[in-house]
Amino acid sequence: MIKRALTYAIALLCAPFTLCAQQLANDSIVPERVVVKCASYGITYMNNLDTYLSGYNHTGRGLYYSNEKFRDARIGNYRWKYQTLLTANTGITTLHDNTQLAGMVNYSWSGFHPFKINSRLQLLAGAQIQAGGGALYIPTNGNNLVSVKLRTALAATGAAIYHIPTKRGDYVLRAQADVPLAGVMFAPEFGQSYYEIFGLQQYSRTVAFSHPFNSPSVRGIFSVDIPIAWRLLNTTVRLTYTADIFQSDINQIRTHLYNHAFTVGVVKTIYKVKKKDNLIKYTPY
Amino acid sequence: MIKKLLTYLLPALLFTACLEEDQFSNSPMGNYDALWSIIDERYCFFEQAGQQHGLDWDAVYHKYKPQVQTAESDAELFDIYGNMLRELKDGHVNLTSDYGTTYYWDWNLNHPLNFSDSLQRNYLGNDFRLTNGIKYTTLPSNIGYVYVGSFEGSLSSDNVSLMLLRLAESKGIIIDIRNNGGGMLTSAEELAAHFVSGKTHCGYIQHKTGKGHNDFSSPEKLYIEPNGVIWKKPVAVLTNRAVYSSANHFVMLVKPLPQVVVMGDKTGGGSGLPLNSTLPNGWTVRFSACPILDIEGKHTEFGITPHEEVHITSADWNSGRDTIIERAIELINSLYEENNNKKD
Repeated sequence: MIKRALTYAIALLCAPFTLCAQQLANDSIVPERVVVKCASYGITYMNNLDTYLSGYNHTGRGLYYSNEKFRDARIGNYRWKYQTLLTANTGITTLHDNTQLAGMVNYSWSGFHPFKINSRLQLLAGAQIQAGGGALYIPTNGNNLVSVKLRTALAATGAAIYHIPTKRGDYVLRAQADVPLAGVMFAPEFGQSYYEIFGLQQYSRTVAFSHPFNSPSVRGIFSVDIPIAWRLLNTTVRLTYTADIFQSDINQIRTHLYNHAFTVGVVKTIYKVKKKDNLIKYTPY
Repeated sequence: MIKKLLTYLLPALLFTACLEEDQFSNSPMGNYDALWSIIDERYCFFEQAGQQHGLDWDAVYHKYKPQVQTAESDAELFDIYGNMLRELKDGHVNLTSDYGTTYYWDWNLNHPLNFSDSLQRNYLGNDFRLTNGIKYTTLPSNIGYVYVGSFEGSLSSDNVSLMLLRLAESKGIIIDIRNNGGGMLTSAEELAAHFVSGKTHCGYIQHKTGKGHNDFSSPEKLYIEPNGVIWKKPVAVLTNRAVYSSANHFVMLVKPLPQVVVMGDKTGGGSGLPLNSTLPNGWTVRFSACPILDIEGKHTEFGITPHEEVHITSADWNSGRDTIIERAIELINSLYEENNNKKD
């Protein structure tokens, strides 16, 4: 009887603490998924060379678009993060009176393992799958007026993300580099015409294995997220510089597509939760 | 772990060296060197040009270099560069800039014309039909006459099929491609596809695989596959020296076919599929790059000899008769009678 009374008494004494603990748990709702999205638009300075079309650099400006999603991976106790990045650029480049049109679309999927150095700095390292396509077009050329670009590659990727807290929110600096390590790409032979490839369907010699020695390429992304709180406006703007350096030297045809793009976009953070009350907001980015 | 990552990642970034082509300067000599090198590395008929007219490309460089060094204007340089390209004696080699386009015409202009549109008018009349640039009619002797003056336009199978259906009752057809300077290979092949009844091997094509004069891929077979209405009655294909490029290709495709007789003058040639490149100053150069060979593996760069060589005589010219068309009518009539006799 005394034992039972003591049990109830202890239970009653502990009840407020239990409730408190439950309240804390409610306060600590972790979202199932957080996605940081940013569509950016801007201009790119292009420098293109494709010796299949012309032996000389064509330079000019164009438009650049990127659409990035950065999120927690739902596997491995949120230890992984992943990123999808779609970029597209188009522009007109010239060599004196000689005009070249260029357009490329690239897509990459990256999986990162995070290394949290301190509360402000995290480093990410991982692997990336890249796929891209596009074309260079010189209207005045005859049977070689187009050079088609098609490629896919497995790349190493790494990033450093640094937060600078302010009253309005965090400034976030990011530096990312993607380096293709192995892949396949469309590569006609030195003097092979598109009439042979597409007209006569002689595709067999047009696929080449690419690696850093015949296609040393890199994409560097440098961005800063700037929180803006002014009257009713409360948002985050991202300024990005992207150095997209694609190069190849296959079948004695040299190619380089250099894009130096400056873009601006608005960052949206989306929290996916079952119950929004007491949500703890955080960013995987 | 982080140290390891940096160890591998940083060198990868640092060793992403720029890939540049050896680029000549935008100067009179730089553009000259660029032009000479483009041809040296990418032109496909050095061996044939050497055999045909003793071309020595290294000697050509030294021949024009002093002229370039003393040239005083871009217009003068344009002419000098054009003269250097003419040494190749190839109608597919041109230099284009604001000053115009340089040409080599001797493959055509140094030979008898063997064609007159005034004479042709006497056969085509005023009630000819026109489809996709092709003029055609039925001659009084019930022989179809088809004039294909160019392959610049894209020919469709329907156009050719409907034309052949309209001529179906005739004893045979004359396909006159004289003065056809070419255009699209695919148009020439589209027309040829109406004269084969099955997949037919008709030649070879190859391309350069490197910068050496003899770096070529192994020849790949070319085929024509039947398309639309197939014409099996006798065909006379009329040629002259102005038949060039895609038109030369058409002759190469149909010459081996059993119902086809090629008559007239030798064609002008031009069997190298041309590609383009640019000089540092933006001028564009076109050059033969992919040789197309006939069914025996022989080059047709310098023309195709007809089955029967016929020239327009002065007497016929003066009396308004086209000797080559007249001979084609005579041939088709005789083949028609021969076939009738066989049936009897």
